[in-house]
Amino acid sequence: MTLIVLLLGLAVGVLVGLLGIGGGVVLVPALVYLLHMDQHLAQGTSLLILLPPVGLGALREYWRQGQVDLRAGILCALGMLVGGYLGGLIAVPLASRHLKGLFGCFLILAAFLLWRKPQQQDRSTPTAGEGSARG
Amino acid sequence: MADGRMRDAGIFGAASLCGVASGLFGIGGGTLLVPFLALFFAFGQHRAQGTSLIALIPPTGALAFFAYAKAGYVSWPTGLLLIPGVFAGGILGGWLAKRLQPRRMRQVFAGLMFALGVWQAVAAWWH
Repeated sequence: MTLIVLLLGLAVGVLVGLLGIGGGVVLVPALVYLLHMDQHLAQGTSLLILLPPVGLGALREYWRQGQVDLRAGILCALGMLVGGYLGGLIAVPLASRHLKGLFGCFLILAAFLLWRKPQQQDRSTPTAGEGSARG
Repeated sequence: MADGRMRDAGIFGAASLCGVASGLFGIGGGTLLVPFLALFFAFGQHRAQGTSLIALIPPTGALAFFAYAKAGYVSWPTGLLLIPGVFAGGILGGWLAKRLQPRRMRQVFAGLMFALGVWQAVAAWWH
């Protein structure tokens, strides 16, 4: 059981670094289906994991290449702090069943956004090697 | 930039929205923040991802976390066991990202997420 949890963490981390997505999107369903957690418990545990800066290692790579907008980052941090509290207040009293269904809808939306991103990237860098982007 | 103020306000507003999703679904929020920055504020993909990562450095989910913790919705042993793995995996993933073309991986992963989302929604609401 302990080994499964450790390996799950590693697998989630690889996706975080590789795709630049939040680990929670993967973690919550993994906790629900692999460890049979209740939806609320999975979401709370996912938030616990995000308390320490787990993306720090990945950020180092981006920072080195100057791919960080510090001002926008701070603004986003403030906005998300406030919004996060609001979201938590909404989620806690919801029935687990509805929260699970809503989470499913969110996953579908996130899947569309994730699919879209690479196309956006190709368009935004038309001069930087159209050919090399299509491996 | 003349419209810097508007842009700042827009970024703050978009991030607040991502925060609501973050608290509501127990996620980091980067999943929404990265495409928002790219689509609405003309960030390049790498810059959007880097900026999203910096926004996650201070524990931005802290207030949401307290709301869950107060209601007893946190599994401490599992959470604490997952942290080192996620951290190490993040470094490994960053290293891999430079060597792989992540485009295909994104699409495979998006497909997986879509299927998982449909499954969860149906499982929750069908009966």
